[in-house]
Amino acid sequence: MDFELTEEERRFREDLQRLLAQELPEWWRGMFVEDERVMPFTKRFCSELAERGWLTMAWPPEHGGQGASVWQQAVLREEMWAADEPRGPQYMNLNYIGPLIMRFGTDAQKSRFLPPMARGEVIWCQGFSEPEAGSDLASLRTRAVADGDRFVINGQKVWTSYADSPAEWCLLLARSDPEAEKHRGISVFLLDMATPGVTVRPIATMAGPHEFNEVFLDDVVVGRDCLLGELHRGWDVVVTGLTFERVGIARYARAGRVIEMLVEHVRRTGRDSEPEVMDKLADLRVRYEAARLLNYVAISIQARGEVPTTEASVARIHNTQLEQLVGHVGLELLGAAGQLTHDDPASPLGGEIWRQWVRNIPTTVAAGTLEIQKNIVARALGLPRPA
Amino acid sequence: MDLTLSSDQEMLVDSARRFLTRSWPAEAVRAAETSADGHDPKAWSEAAGLGWPGLCLPAEHGGSGAGMVELALLAEELGRAAFSSPLLAQTTLVALPLAWEGNAAQRTRWLPALAGGELIGSAALVAPGARDERSSPPLEGRRSGDGWVLSGSRVLVPFAAVSSLLVVLADLEGAGVSMLVVEAERIAALSRQQALGGDPMYAVSFHGTVVGTGDVIGRPGSGAALFARALDHATVASVSYGVGLGERALELSVSHACDRHQFGRPIGSFQAVAHRCVDMRADLDAARWLARQAAWALDKAGASGESAAPAGAPAAVAGASGESAAPAGALEVAAAKAYANDALRRVFLNAHQVHGAIGFSLEHDLQLFTRRAKAFELSLGDTAQHRGRVAEAMGLGRSR
Repeated sequence: MDFELTEEERRFREDLQRLLAQELPEWWRGMFVEDERVMPFTKRFCSELAERGWLTMAWPPEHGGQGASVWQQAVLREEMWAADEPRGPQYMNLNYIGPLIMRFGTDAQKSRFLPPMARGEVIWCQGFSEPEAGSDLASLRTRAVADGDRFVINGQKVWTSYADSPAEWCLLLARSDPEAEKHRGISVFLLDMATPGVTVRPIATMAGPHEFNEVFLDDVVVGRDCLLGELHRGWDVVVTGLTFERVGIARYARAGRVIEMLVEHVRRTGRDSEPEVMDKLADLRVRYEAARLLNYVAISIQARGEVPTTEASVARIHNTQLEQLVGHVGLELLGAAGQLTHDDPASPLGGEIWRQWVRNIPTTVAAGTLEIQKNIVARALGLPRPA
Repeated sequence: MDLTLSSDQEMLVDSARRFLTRSWPAEAVRAAETSADGHDPKAWSEAAGLGWPGLCLPAEHGGSGAGMVELALLAEELGRAAFSSPLLAQTTLVALPLAWEGNAAQRTRWLPALAGGELIGSAALVAPGARDERSSPPLEGRRSGDGWVLSGSRVLVPFAAVSSLLVVLADLEGAGVSMLVVEAERIAALSRQQALGGDPMYAVSFHGTVVGTGDVIGRPGSGAALFARALDHATVASVSYGVGLGERALELSVSHACDRHQFGRPIGSFQAVAHRCVDMRADLDAARWLARQAAWALDKAGASGESAAPAGAPAAVAGASGESAAPAGALEVAAAKAYANDALRRVFLNAHQVHGAIGFSLEHDLQLFTRRAKAFELSLGDTAQHRGRVAEAMGLGRSR
């Protein structure tokens, strides 16, 4: 048992912080803002990381990576998420879309799709949820009908993050065998978003642009060479992908950064010795410690080459609720001025606390709701399945 | 960074669990609770045979030289079995302070006997009416010849009737606040108290007890820092014990939720019930790792004699100005206790809700753990106090 990063890992954190200090423009507030500079900046930043070998450092060397330790990856994720994820939507490529292609893809797919990801040039989105398939994802209805060496896809996806960034590619789930048991008739497709029949419609949300979209698929033709994994066995890909996704984001790191902003704010405003203020900030800090450690427990299991399914869900239960609580308590500490949104010049802390609150309203819903996470843990406890 | 157990640590946990399952069933807990002095000498000597009282003591004094991480792992198992013993308080509040700062004579006289379990030591730290150990004013020591005459009394002293020595904190006239080790024969009076937790508790009067410089641990007047360090160790051990209590409550709850049928189904198949169990799991995992982190931080601070850097905190948090001014491990210890106090409250509310009426009966084992968890919460500092310590370690509260 060792709770300390190595000297090398700590130096890597310092290097990253130097790079961020140098590269992040003063206007950078994350990708969910109405500002046309945002997405081009994320691509430039990814190229910059790629040049230093840090973009795909977690990938194995045969795919252009450096096989970095899981702890270096954790440091990278922490620093990126704490800085409002300057890699933009591409964090998904690195965390799980790329690794899924490595695991399930053909050699041709690997050499076609992985190098552009490794260069930081391509934005992917993920076409999973549908209007009638959320927590019950396996009930999805988008149809893929085989037609010779191609598939014709019809249906609708929703809550598709970054599709309007615009995303060039989509990891798409569709039902390829409507007769089979629902988990056994799904396939995964690698869809070029420029294919005729693909329509993206942004959904206006409380948080700003690029967060969510609807994607309509009308007679979209996809070649068999864009089927990922075995036909009808897409659920295996999904389950693997969701496990990657749950430990893929260092949510606690952003919460930690916001706690630090709040500490500075109460010092500046002379409230740092009010007992209730101290109590609330200390509570956030304690929950931050807990969330961070539980992520490290999951990562430690990964480091042994095992898959931390339960631990990842427990970590996510803590992470997502921490992110929400930090937003709520943060706004409370700002008082009445907390109502001022990020685009008001008088908004305290540049609207960062407003953003923390509003962006995390759906955090306990995305990538498996809090209830779905709890169901996963319930099975691991040995509790009987619901009727 | 590696939050997994070493093979030695796994062995310690396995052997403790095997011993406690075999030798310390719930009937033993009940028997100890109803016995005259609350102590089971047979179980204690078996625990001594396993080397537990000497686990964290230096090898040259008959110990195994392990650290607080190992004690925390053992404490989780002790809690899981509601093992009643002076072990944790003796180790952290008596033996370790003697090992850190005791003089050669004190170490030779006490440590091998404590490590071997032949002697029992306890600590008398809570003043009547005080909020907790940290907030208790020390006993008074009035100059008398070469030594001092103590006055004052302490309450909630565990296992006092079977203890051969007690550690106290006293403000010695002309010397200042000092930590002392006092043999039981010199105590004026003790009387059993009725406390909810299950460990035997005593009120102890120190009126007229005569002490000398030979009884002071470390330098006279240096007691406050030594006491704070010992209390941090005791706090971590108690959190780990508390986590163990909660673990058993979760095991009992899952088992009940699988066995108990209503509406033709096991109640654990209802999400409302299942998710209470999951909430217990999530709370206990957080408390467990906060305690283990705190134990590790104390070990590291002890080994290096300097401030331990907060573990893997992103620089955003760890580097917040002023944070490093806090004593080594203070933030980690306070975070663990602040979280665990509230977490165990939630865990046992959930456990009783899952159990329904049967959990309230004395015949069911759950109450053995519920009472101990409440005693845990009421000892060694409440949530507000520990959050205050976390806040100070964060650099807040400076403009008062």
